Amino acid sequence: MDLILKGLEQAFRLLFGGDRSTYEIALRSLEVSLAALVVSLALGVPLGAAIALNRFPGRRFVVALVNTGMGVPPVVVGLVVALFLWRSGPLGILNLMYTVRAMIIAQVLIALPIVAGLSLAALQQLDTGFRLQIMALGAGQWQTFLLLLREIRVPLLAAVMAAFGGVISEVGAVMIVGGNITGQTQVLTTGIVQRTGMGDFAGAIALSVILIILAFSTNYAMTIIQQRGSRTL
Amino acid sequence: MAGAPILEARDFVVVRNGKELVRVERFAVQPGEVHVLLGPNGAGKSTLLRALNGLEEATGQLFFDGAPLRNGGDRRRLRRRTAAVFQRPHLLSTTVRGNVESGLRLRGVTGAELRRRTSASLSLLGIADLAERRRDGLSGGEAQRVSIARALAVDPAVVFFDEPLASLDPPTRRSLTADLQSIFAQLATAVLWVTHDTEEALAVADRVTFLSGGRVLQEGPRAEVFNRPATPEVADYLGVDVWLEGTLESGDVGTARFVLAGGASLVCPEAPPGPAFACIHPEDVVLFLSPPREGSTSLRNMIPATVSEIRPQARSRLIVLEWQGGRLQALVTRAACEELDLARHSTVYAAIKAMAVHVVPRGRLPA
Repeated sequence: MDLILKGLEQAFRLLFGGDRSTYEIALRSLEVSLAALVVSLALGVPLGAAIALNRFPGRRFVVALVNTGMGVPPVVVGLVVALFLWRSGPLGILNLMYTVRAMIIAQVLIALPIVAGLSLAALQQLDTGFRLQIMALGAGQWQTFLLLLREIRVPLLAAVMAAFGGVISEVGAVMIVGGNITGQTQVLTTGIVQRTGMGDFAGAIALSVILIILAFSTNYAMTIIQQRGSRTL
Repeated sequence: MAGAPILEARDFVVVRNGKELVRVERFAVQPGEVHVLLGPNGAGKSTLLRALNGLEEATGQLFFDGAPLRNGGDRRRLRRRTAAVFQRPHLLSTTVRGNVESGLRLRGVTGAELRRRTSASLSLLGIADLAERRRDGLSGGEAQRVSIARALAVDPAVVFFDEPLASLDPPTRRSLTADLQSIFAQLATAVLWVTHDTEEALAVADRVTFLSGGRVLQEGPRAEVFNRPATPEVADYLGVDVWLEGTLESGDVGTARFVLAGGASLVCPEAPPGPAFACIHPEDVVLFLSPPREGSTSLRNMIPATVSEIRPQARSRLIVLEWQGGRLQALVTRAACEELDLARHSTVYAAIKAMAVHVVPRGRLPA
């Protein structure tokens, strides 16, 4: 108990005493996860829409792939990305291993199936006639896409929250491809692992508190947007 | 109807998943007319409507205002000049006003013109007071009025209605039908209206195309289709229960004689001799307790018959008669039924004008 209390006390000193390295780690975490989220939204929503709105051979297989991707362990994703980015790997020439970019790539691959899968499911919930109605109003393809997204904005924001929660809290992939290098690629989750391993519980608790505050405040903001104008059953 | 059609399809075929759903040689909607596509469920009516609106792939030729539509871009331009109302209102998750504005905005209308046309359309449908309500707070009838207001706001050359009243309760359906009849009379917009409901078709149609199995069985002005169904299937659907099979023979000047298998015959309008079917609407059969004096009436057919059944209807009685030629039905008022003291086995005389015996030569029937 004493250990926890001491840890919490030191954690608040680090948090409110303006400890530079703690804030650097927090900002890097946000940078990696938000960048991965933006890229996965830009790719995942159109991908989900393309699967939901079109009929093509092998469609069920593709849907199954996306759904499976939602449950792949991040550590496996990290391994696959590392194999590609390793110096002797197919993309080794890019020299991305142990960089923030490599971490973003790994997190995109974690978040992409979540965004695509949940967008796909949300669009499939819409009445099939809805799309025809929007087209009959005179909408072009792009306008139809945007109006459909507006209709699914509540489940779409749920997808954003699920994807953000998935990447901000994952440790396996960023540990493998980022290397957890202090001052360069260390993020909140890998920092917690490192500090716990070193017996620096105050540092680990401080990073954990920041991680929880970040996760909660981001989700709270998105929940406010999501629930605006929505109804209860 | 004279003049160039606003919408015309030729050799129009819709195939989905390798199955041919619709094949139409020619189908045309004239400017300003309410053209009803009538037929049973699964006839291909909605499929044809969607294909005509460029929402479903089809082969053949499609012309809008005389110009051929050749590709996706042309079909999109068609959708910018038309509007559609479906069975479900499919309102966007915004206010009533936002919904009515949506079609206009998509067509680039903004500012004062947007506000003017939105208000005019809301008023036309009697929903101006609902303008700020959101989608979730509307009844089914109100939501469908919003959908119609949204369609009419864009001043379309053709409005496609796909069973717009099918999911409404009867009072709402009646009130909306009455309002739409008045709106159609005010506007110059052509309407293509899909329904399986004959009463609905009678209420709104100028012209009717009867579709079954993806094929047009009959097309013509409303009165012609309802009074002179071209095939037994159309007649069955429209509620003409009695079809007689026989042969047409030459009759007196301007008439023919329809001879039934048992030797009984009916005088009917002149038509080419040969095998034929005849149908008689129950409304066209008049009942007498004794035959009128010969030469005192213009009626050409006076048939002695026996009442075999009396079927009560909401405001009338359907009298089923047996005669030498088979079965016949007469629709009479409840009061007439009581005055004539009709009961099973009563003997009556069924009078039918020659012009009310509608004959279809058997060659016109589908194989």
